[in-house]
Amino acid sequence: MRRSLPGATIVVVGLLLLVDYIIINPALATLADLILELVVLLAAAAALAGGVALVLRHWTELVERRGDPPGSLALLAGFTVILLAGLYPGSSGSTDPAVRWIVAALLTPLIAALFALLFIFLLGAAGRGLTIRTREGTLMLAAAAAVVVLLLPLGGSAGDWLADAADWTLAVPIGGAFRGLLIGVAIVTAVHAARVLLAVNGAEE
Amino acid sequence: MTDRLTRRSSRARFAPLALVVLLGAAVLLRPGDDGGALLLANPDRTQVAELQAAFAALPEAPLVLVGLDADLGTYPEIRVAVRAALADLLARDARLAFVSFTPEGRAIASAELDRLERGGFGEDELLDLGFIAGAEAGMVRAVTDLLSDGVEGSVADAIRVADVGMGAFQLVLVVGGGEMGPRSWVEQVGTRLPGLPIAAIVPTFAQPELAPYVRTGQLVALLATLRDGAAYAADVGGGEAAEQVPSALAMLLGMLIALVALGRTLAASLWGLGPVPGEGAGTSNRRRGGGRERDDATADAADADVEAAPERAAEADAAAETDPGDEAEPASDAEREADAR
Repeated sequence: MRRSLPGATIVVVGLLLLVDYIIINPALATLADLILELVVLLAAAAALAGGVALVLRHWTELVERRGDPPGSLALLAGFTVILLAGLYPGSSGSTDPAVRWIVAALLTPLIAALFALLFIFLLGAAGRGLTIRTREGTLMLAAAAAVVVLLLPLGGSAGDWLADAADWTLAVPIGGAFRGLLIGVAIVTAVHAARVLLAVNGAEE
Repeated sequence: MTDRLTRRSSRARFAPLALVVLLGAAVLLRPGDDGGALLLANPDRTQVAELQAAFAALPEAPLVLVGLDADLGTYPEIRVAVRAALADLLARDARLAFVSFTPEGRAIASAELDRLERGGFGEDELLDLGFIAGAEAGMVRAVTDLLSDGVEGSVADAIRVADVGMGAFQLVLVVGGGEMGPRSWVEQVGTRLPGLPIAAIVPTFAQPELAPYVRTGQLVALLATLRDGAAYAADVGGGEAAEQVPSALAMLLGMLIALVALGRTLAASLWGLGPVPGEGAGTSNRRRGGGRERDDATADAADADVEAAPERAAEADAAAETDPGDEAEPASDAEREADAR
């Protein structure tokens, strides 16, 4: 039986939030709010630290001419532009029109264009996957082909039949397997949480 | 043999161009209003009717919270339905407040707000609550503390006057696809505000996860497939939204191309028919019986190469001995090549 500081913290915070959820008590609510605020601040600080680490890494690579200098330059330029747009004197931050324009007119279309290539890359990946000749890969692609057939946008009675079959497939076999997975994950999570609460050896590994 | 390969190679070079021309033609050639032989919308209108009923149950000039946490990769699948729903709500004089708990969702919300503002809607109808950090913890905190100090406008004032955080809203419309989807809303917000109805629009992959929440009533409505989205947009969106529905013909052609490609690779893998994907043009597909044999010409060339490698190594050795000042790199390269083979 051993109890480390992270484990003890998880137990105390978890129990406190659970009790606050069950019992209405102003003092308890204040304490729970404080913890939630700390968690939010921690998450924001982690995001900030991630941003700083990213900039430092690419700045070093650019200065030392390592890695992909044009890529690093593009990243740093993008970072600078979005920071300038969000932090110039009088800016309203993430809701500033300049930030919105950069996001709506540049960032979103660029990322959407990248994702639009998924169709081609997926077909390529399917072909490459089959060269490995695994049974699972073949089965997955056969299932994918069957789903594509079910989703064909046809009209008339054939289209109605396909749509009904697609709905049934989604609700019954796929839904059943998916929910089975979710229930399995939930059981494992509950067991692990119980092991942490009871400080069973190996639970924190 | 070489001529055939050259012809095949030149044909393959034009294949992407042909694909682009084909898809372009498909996008331009839209089906008629009645759909004809092509129909994208789901004939089963249950989900559409549930969403319409949820909107119809709203009071006059309702406050609606839009939790926009979609994923940029899957958002195009639900964009038509989301835009039609926003237009439908605004047509019912709803006041919309947008909030996001993921950076990607924030980017999409920003783009949608920009579009709506360009469409003539202002601060009397729209409120940007921005991005809230902290994932689930941030969401729990937002249940009681949604407005930050700097937020202003008539919608913000209405929320502030109610002084109950998210309880001020009459409906939450969750646009999912990212990490913080309708499940997080049901778990974190629905349990704390059980009287607040939650409706959701998500991509198809999330449907099996969320369908049980509709049956239990934790979600009052769920649009979760492109077919449902198209049906909803066609029902309520009017001309503009109907125009934005992807061309069924383009989708059909794209899917047929995918099916042909998948069918060829599957046939090659299962029964040895057609070219083996990922192998070069100089290889054949004589793989019946499950084996994988190299083309004779390729095999012969490779064998000849292997036989020639030691000779090249010996020549390189001799060259190194003749010129002692020169580094023995060519010899060692040839030796490595021979060893590798």
